Amino acid sequence: MNRNIDRRHFMALMGAGAAAPLLARHASAAAPLTMQAAWINDAEFTGYFTAIDNGYYKDEGLDLTYLSGGPDLIPESSIIAGKADLALTTPDTTIKAIVDQGAKFKIIGAQYQKNPHGIISLAKNPIHSPKELVGKTLAVPPVNVISVEVMLRANGIEPSQVNIVPYAYDPTPLIKGEIDASLDFTTNVPFTIKQQSAEAVSFLLYDFGYTIFNDAIVVTDDTLAAKRKELVAWLKASRKGWEENLRDPSVYPPKFADTWFKGTGRSIENEVYFNTAQKPLIESPKGILSLTEDSIAKTIDALSKAGIKARRDMFDTTLLEEV
Amino acid sequence: MSAQRGIRIDNVSKTFSARGKRIEALKNVSLDCAPGSFTALIGPSGCGKSTILRLALGLEVADTGSVEIGGEAPRNATSAGVTGVAFQDAALLPWRSVEANLALPLDVLGLERARYAGKIASLIELVGLAGFEKALPGELSGGMRQRVAIARALVTDPSVLFLDEPFGALDQILRRQMNIELQRIWTETKATALLVTHGIDEAVFLADKVVVMQSRPGRIARVIDVPFERPRRTNLFSDPRFHALNDEIATVLHG
Amino acid sequence: MADAVDGSLADGGRRGWAIRHWAGLRNGVVILVVWEFLGRFGLVAGGALPAPSAILARFWLDRGDYPEHVVATLWGASAGFLIGNAIAVLAGMLFVLSPVASRLSRGINIAIFSVPSIAISPILVLTLSGMAPRIVLAAISCYFVTMTATVIGLTQIDQRTADVIRAYGGGRWKVMRLVRLRSAMPVILGGLQVAAPNAVLGAILAEFGGGGRWGLGNYLLGSLGRADPARLWGIGLVATAIAGLAYLVFALISQRVTGASRAVTVTTSVPPLRAAGGDNTVAKVLLVAGSIALPLILWWVFVKALGVPELIARTPYGVFEHLFLLDSSPAARAKLLQALAQTLPITLVGMAAGLAAAFLLAVSSRLYPGVTRAFMPIALFTQTMPLIATIPLLVLLLGRGWSVTLWITISVTFFPAFITLAQGISMVPRAALDVPRAYGASAWKEMRLVSIPASLPYLFAATRLTVPRALLGVMIAEWLATGKGLGNLLNQSRGYLDYGMIWTVATVSVLVSIAFYQLVVVAERRVLGRLGMQTAE
Repeated sequence: MNRNIDRRHFMALMGAGAAAPLLARHASAAAPLTMQAAWINDAEFTGYFTAIDNGYYKDEGLDLTYLSGGPDLIPESSIIAGKADLALTTPDTTIKAIVDQGAKFKIIGAQYQKNPHGIISLAKNPIHSPKELVGKTLAVPPVNVISVEVMLRANGIEPSQVNIVPYAYDPTPLIKGEIDASLDFTTNVPFTIKQQSAEAVSFLLYDFGYTIFNDAIVVTDDTLAAKRKELVAWLKASRKGWEENLRDPSVYPPKFADTWFKGTGRSIENEVYFNTAQKPLIESPKGILSLTEDSIAKTIDALSKAGIKARRDMFDTTLLEEV
Repeated sequence: MSAQRGIRIDNVSKTFSARGKRIEALKNVSLDCAPGSFTALIGPSGCGKSTILRLALGLEVADTGSVEIGGEAPRNATSAGVTGVAFQDAALLPWRSVEANLALPLDVLGLERARYAGKIASLIELVGLAGFEKALPGELSGGMRQRVAIARALVTDPSVLFLDEPFGALDQILRRQMNIELQRIWTETKATALLVTHGIDEAVFLADKVVVMQSRPGRIARVIDVPFERPRRTNLFSDPRFHALNDEIATVLHG
Repeated sequence: MADAVDGSLADGGRRGWAIRHWAGLRNGVVILVVWEFLGRFGLVAGGALPAPSAILARFWLDRGDYPEHVVATLWGASAGFLIGNAIAVLAGMLFVLSPVASRLSRGINIAIFSVPSIAISPILVLTLSGMAPRIVLAAISCYFVTMTATVIGLTQIDQRTADVIRAYGGGRWKVMRLVRLRSAMPVILGGLQVAAPNAVLGAILAEFGGGGRWGLGNYLLGSLGRADPARLWGIGLVATAIAGLAYLVFALISQRVTGASRAVTVTTSVPPLRAAGGDNTVAKVLLVAGSIALPLILWWVFVKALGVPELIARTPYGVFEHLFLLDSSPAARAKLLQALAQTLPITLVGMAAGLAAAFLLAVSSRLYPGVTRAFMPIALFTQTMPLIATIPLLVLLLGRGWSVTLWITISVTFFPAFITLAQGISMVPRAALDVPRAYGASAWKEMRLVSIPASLPYLFAATRLTVPRALLGVMIAEWLATGKGLGNLLNQSRGYLDYGMIWTVATVSVLVSIAFYQLVVVAERRVLGRLGMQTAE
């Protein structure tokens, strides 16, 4: 049975049918495809915005619908529920779901070759390595606690030696010294701290044993079988978008000021900083969005330290080969 | 004027439970009110006199025995508009004007207000509230509110009229005035009236028959006929026969 | 703004009105000046509290961003407000007309009220699309408050007037139409006053997590990373203004109808004697079983009707399986029990604190209307400002221990209880107040002797509103500040895609809240029964 129809019926009952912007663009002959992003519209997704606005997906015969994310939105849920065909996810979460819940997912690519998550502290109270975290207060989003604990153990530190408190996406407690460090995107928060006339230092979890990529491109087995052609086209257009965007990271964010980035509450300077900082984490000798054997092996290895048993067959690199 | 109807209460018993205790409100009570008669129920608090009235109005159902109004079950009689009622403490809707409060029984019975506009106006006139048609209950004195309640009880031209301590909250002077008023009104309507009261003089002045009740369990102690001719006038209040009858009732009450 | 809760307004006359409003205005200005001073010189939490002028300046710079966000939030909140309240009023009427329906639905009602929004939001986002999660969460946030107010209003009538209707052969429906509905208006409007900020916050919470682009919640989320309190407070104040406008409209309407709704004299015939006998134990057991089964059935139907895959949407059986039948069940149980052991003790303290705050406010709103009037915008602000925006300030001021948890719990619980109590105090019949006044009693003595005892049914209703929400408050604090207990477990489970645990935590938190609620109901019946008062159920 058709789940979307059901849901629309339900929303019509709720009087909300008219307000649903869902999948409204099926008119053209192009093949429809829906992607679920991991977060709100910011520089993390500039490559896709570039590809959409420059018509790269259309050139590949795709009619792409882009869904923004948010804290309560679990991207994997969107593809399980059939709201989206592919999702950008955190690989530890995705793989844990495959192992623990028997979810039928495949990882077909990766946006960040190196995970941008890092430990950020102030220059006047700097923390340069895991060892220096002992006895300090570290704010971590509860969903990422497991990653931090793995990184600490990999460096011979018991997690109980660090005072871990919840992080609510606002760096104010760090700037005011209520906490000593926080886990966040190193591509983003140091800009904010600089805006508040402070200096930030940071290190990546990746550089201290938590060697996973991030923003995994995830599909369900069913979608992989049914829409392989469209997925390859999506990878191709997305790579082109990212290449175009990263040629000069300061070019595209300002162009999206009144479209993709309108009303997000963030500044364009912030997005330019972000876009510039993420360039080395995204670029890969094998081409952007690549999934190299080396990165797969490192990810499997890092996750095994967290007790998550990843296997090679959870990854499918054959689509990238077709690009 | 609708056909005359009497009230017939036959061997009725009623028990309540309140806060875990059982109270025998009425035990084997029988009472007959002839059509067109005026009966007063008098007795100490908790003797079940209000319960008799509530049974007759269909607000409560008897455990045993039967209650009939003009040969019909109370619910049928009340929903046919045969009865009128005025409660202790007026019980007016605070958001309705005097006029609109008078129209309340019409709304309940599904009668058209417009057809009764003249009736309502004349009733307001009758109870001496002309000029207060649009006033809200909160703007009236206690006596005025009580007169609204009486007028409301009469709006449907009832052939049976129930009055539950209608003047309980009024002072003695106002109460006497209202008693005389009520007699006049009742004489005009010729309805069968059942009055629940605390006042012996009120009962004797108004009723053909005074029913004296006692409590625990609620029962009828004695029925005393009132022989005075009608219309009764204010000078009756100072008549020695009136006082003698009052004393007799008081003796039964406290006996 | 406290006009609605200031029952004496009607008697005061023009001069009194002016004096009281002047006092309120003066206090408001004092608060504003002190706030500006504290903010301007960075005296609170090292400058984490922005000055009003800084918020305004930021707002002016951001003015271009607001319209689309405000429109989206208004859309979701008002649709939810209309739907939720329409259902609530109809349900309230049904419950009063049919005691059986009322008892059957008790489980659902408490479940809807006590389901923590932070637990239901991810589930709604999982199972619905587009505007639907926002509308549903806004509607859910309104439902219980308005339903309870409707039932209280419809039952706390002058029984004598109902007798008049029945004496003319009128049935339940006639009593409803001619007496109850009009008589309940002030209380229902009081409920709508509380529901308005709830709807706004509900819509914002769903926006915050739900992945759309427009809405104050989305704007807030994007702004969090800027470490710019002025922006966050600006967003919170705009949300407050929306809710405040709705609050004010209903307060004004309520003030108009309250004067004419109060009974003129004290009801003396209230204790409704129940006819002896007729208590059927079998029927009672069936009703209780039905009220427990109904929410489970609805839950099951909801999940099945949406056709969301089983992996995401768990049925009641799925939760049972998660806790008892799987290899991972012992570990899941241990985690859950550990979280409960951290959460429950402070929840009890939080309940008492929230209720005490509401009570003190309600009493002082009668005694010192000016102070309360100046405080009302702040109170309203705490109801519409998403807590996540004030968390940096709170942890800087209070740390991450008991004090921050208690503060959050009070701010989550006191408002509905306060409005309910204030309503109760203002509905005390005039005649009852005249007695102590005649003896020259002070305002406080009058409160103690008449107003407080007479509004006891409202005190219990307020307690029922406070108790389930205390758990929500503690869970929010755990999620945002302390990183312990049930709130933290819920959030971590989201990160681990542990759908079983997400549904389990939601279920357990609802069950715990229902247990607290039932305790209050039992106490309420005992006390009010002894005093011959009606339970406002």
